[in-house]
Amino acid sequence: MESAYMSMGTEMEKGENARLSSLIGAMAIADLVKTTLGPKGMDKILQSVDPNDQSISVTNDGATILSKIPLDNAAAKVLVDMSKVQDNEVGDGTTSVAVLCGELLREAEQLLLQQRIHPQTICAGWRLATKEAKAALEICASDDITREDLVKIASTTLSSKLVHAEKKHFAELCVAAVERLKGSGNLDHVQIIKLPGGSMRDSYLEDGFLLEKSIGVGQPKRLENCKILLANTSMDTDKIKIYGSRVQVDSLNKVAEIETAEKLKMKKKVDKILAHGCNVFINRQLIYNYPESLFAQNNVTAIEHADFDGIERLAAVTGGEVVSTFDNPDKVTLGECDLLEEILIGESKILRLGGCKSGAACSIVLRGSSNHLLDEAERSLHDALCILMATLKHPRRIYGGGCTEVAMAHAIDKAAQETPGKQAIAMASFAKALLQLPMIVADNGGYDAAELVTQLRAAHAAGKNNYGLNMTNGTIGSMDELGVMESYRSKLQVLTSAAEAAEMILRVDDIIKSAPRRREEMM
Amino acid sequence: MAGSGDTFHDGSKGKDVRTSNIVAAKAIANAVRTSLGPRGMDKLLQLENGEILISNDGATILKNMKVLHPAAKMLVDLSQSQDIEAGDGTTTVVVLAGALLNSCSALLAKGIHPTAIANSFMNAADKACEILEGISKPVDLADRESLLSSVDTCLSSKVVGQNSEVLSPIAVDSVLGVLEDIEKSRSVDLRDIRLVQQMGGTVDDTELVEGLVLTKGSSKTGGGPSSMNNAKVALIQYCLSAPKTDMDNNVVVSDYAAMDRILREERKYILQQCKAIKKSGANVVLIQKSILRDAYNELSLHFLAKMGMLVVTDIDRADIEFICRTLGCTPVAHPDQMTADKLGSAELVADVFMEGGSNKVVKFTGVKNLGNTMTVLLRGSNEFVLGEAERSLHDAQCVVRSLVKKRFLIAGGGAAETEVSLKLMEYSNELTGMDAYCFQAFADALEVIPYTLAENAGMKPIEVVTELRKQHAEGITGAGINVKKGKVTDMYAMNVVQPLLVSTSAIQLATETVCMLMKVDDLVIVARA
Repeated sequence: MESAYMSMGTEMEKGENARLSSLIGAMAIADLVKTTLGPKGMDKILQSVDPNDQSISVTNDGATILSKIPLDNAAAKVLVDMSKVQDNEVGDGTTSVAVLCGELLREAEQLLLQQRIHPQTICAGWRLATKEAKAALEICASDDITREDLVKIASTTLSSKLVHAEKKHFAELCVAAVERLKGSGNLDHVQIIKLPGGSMRDSYLEDGFLLEKSIGVGQPKRLENCKILLANTSMDTDKIKIYGSRVQVDSLNKVAEIETAEKLKMKKKVDKILAHGCNVFINRQLIYNYPESLFAQNNVTAIEHADFDGIERLAAVTGGEVVSTFDNPDKVTLGECDLLEEILIGESKILRLGGCKSGAACSIVLRGSSNHLLDEAERSLHDALCILMATLKHPRRIYGGGCTEVAMAHAIDKAAQETPGKQAIAMASFAKALLQLPMIVADNGGYDAAELVTQLRAAHAAGKNNYGLNMTNGTIGSMDELGVMESYRSKLQVLTSAAEAAEMILRVDDIIKSAPRRREEMM
Repeated sequence: MAGSGDTFHDGSKGKDVRTSNIVAAKAIANAVRTSLGPRGMDKLLQLENGEILISNDGATILKNMKVLHPAAKMLVDLSQSQDIEAGDGTTTVVVLAGALLNSCSALLAKGIHPTAIANSFMNAADKACEILEGISKPVDLADRESLLSSVDTCLSSKVVGQNSEVLSPIAVDSVLGVLEDIEKSRSVDLRDIRLVQQMGGTVDDTELVEGLVLTKGSSKTGGGPSSMNNAKVALIQYCLSAPKTDMDNNVVVSDYAAMDRILREERKYILQQCKAIKKSGANVVLIQKSILRDAYNELSLHFLAKMGMLVVTDIDRADIEFICRTLGCTPVAHPDQMTADKLGSAELVADVFMEGGSNKVVKFTGVKNLGNTMTVLLRGSNEFVLGEAERSLHDAQCVVRSLVKKRFLIAGGGAAETEVSLKLMEYSNELTGMDAYCFQAFADALEVIPYTLAENAGMKPIEVVTELRKQHAEGITGAGINVKKGKVTDMYAMNVVQPLLVSTSAIQLATETVCMLMKVDDLVIVARA
């Protein structure tokens, strides 16, 4: 029938079929990532099929896994997008959000197929449930955050990652790094340098700032009280940039004269730079032999080819500004640091700037047995840093270990009992979906999930509202004593995005797929 | 999964993925295990471009194996990391990882959770390193004998093992020579030691040069001298050829007289530049390569030769820093900067003909204010021997470097591994729960090293390993495999020692990788990782 009004190649799925296709797609995605959840969650190897790039990566990060899978299911794409948004907003909880959404839809499938409840009714019930859940979350949250709490939040995030064996070390490292930022909130200023070799324990937060560059020939390798001029300028001859410009002369001497003039221009530029009174010159572009030797003559250390991010971070860390013209030395702010030296980490020579003036940026040096490990450690640290930043922006914390999920489910169940109508069934299903999260966490740990979660429910009903899963012993316990904490902001985001996305997918009753765009040669 | 939602192609799950990873990793470990130890064999690798490489070095073999399986790739990466961290023990680390994975599969079969295994293994690795530190003996860098014997241990497994009496002192002296401060330095940059390969002669002709060796002989076109006493060396980065601007230029020649004049001018221009060099007092000139224009031409070489200067051309920009540091000179980037204070000096700069080869090299000896750099002139009868000699020497230098980093020695010949295994076994008896099981498995896995050593040496591995255990239990902590005699003897008495860092780093890195593999339960095919 559709063929009557739709163009060739367009596909359409309707009603039950459409709904099922999207529900199943979303559930499949949730199932794919759910084994990564929790402190005993597993990792995935991502293997590329690109013939030019046979690389692999090992990861536990939901957003990373999901963003790389090629998909052909609309609902699955919604989940992937949601996880990406979670990654951008708070950095952590990317797996939880996909799993919660998948579980909600799994419950919805039951209600739809077996109890024949209208999708709109389910949505209405869910909305009531979300409201209750938010209120319950609000009650759970506590406002006062000490530095210790930050460390706990970071280590909860890291506990599910590959670095969990060293999570204390890394949690301290992340908190220290965030403290260094002094509230600037720009994570770009935390530079993570990955150097293979050594063990993960050898990773550290560098007091100063590191730059993977080397110092020019014959220039001082160690400088104290540095005045740093940061520049983005070309150091070769400033030639006339008109296409086809050329010199036409009638004798070789004149060529030599022009060459001298060119050299003189270079020298003038160097002189102008020197007029700034700097003793370190860092350029984003290349510095050639001749200017390099001029700098060397004047005892100025010149560093060439610092990449763009490097220069920006340097500006942040030394308090200088990046310049590209040198006519007004008095208007230029020079960066400052106490010490510039070359250090050797593993087999790499790295420049270290110690005692920087503003210090609003820092470097974390990661060591580990392989590049895959380092890449994953970087992702994990990034998650932890993000969550710390989010917590500092919205300083509220909650208990982890499934504690809040059970508390929310408890509150919803209670409200459902007071709600008349079919909506109450939908609310109960929402609570059930929430309980799935601690279930999965316990299941991944190889424990009896049903037993633990029912115990947990009983504990919460008895008023022990800080109880959660103790994943080391496979029991339940007070999260306060175990120090398992999470960010309120992250949990709230998980709850609202998962509920919104699930509702959106549920309300779909038609899927129309446009025909693929035809290529030129086929016409 | 529903038809249209069929989102990925491969879904081999959990157990299957883990088994496949373990099998692949073990295959890699098996591929290199025969190269372990003094009686280990070499591998011949045929590279993609048809070239051939013969090596005993685990990292080199694996790097060129082009493996596909993800788990195998991780093991290759692992050996690279060991190469960076310790330089030696690149085969050991892979063999160890294979053995650890093997014991993992047994633990998994018992139903122990993979993350629990990973956790316990990390703890076991820490404990193992602790034990190793306990049995290690401090070494003084001034104690040349101990250094030499640990380098001998490293070289014994290589094809150049029979030349160890030449290579060991070179490795030790070269590394100690670039140390800034023998007491305080905690790291060495091996890039300060240059390995120059020259075909011809035998490995025994290899020598340590306190000075500099440039692989290109001096320029002969102008007929200049080929040796120079009391040399003053100038390193120039500008070009000794006709002037050229950055902009395109063309010289318009209108008549015959003009052409003559241009030729004269060119001659004069170059002569002036050469005179400037002469004036500074230099008698040896090194010219940096240039891509923009000719770094030199016949005319300039001719003038320099007439002025009695020895010229070496085509110096790489990357080498400038090293040359400067060695000779104590400063590069000159502009004719105006050519002054006497920029020159380096050496007693003798001379072309040396490499016997058995067709090459000449320029050797700088008797350098005044020699920087913290060293040059090793490697000789060998063919390029395979040379290549392997270079890798072996690098390993040997890494051994010395490891001793600079961590100044402790432990017994070789599988003695350390047996001791750790035994102590861990004892320790596991004090533990309960998963840890106890995993510690035992870990201890078992460590025995792979003496087992493989014995096997490669053609001894009966089970008898040897049990004999080792017995002697260690009796308190002889140095008991190890004496490959030459084919029995178990005290390694300390035999002077078979190795740096502590090599062993601790191997255990730690191997454990980290194994833990990472343990945590993997799925293999997802993606468009781009």
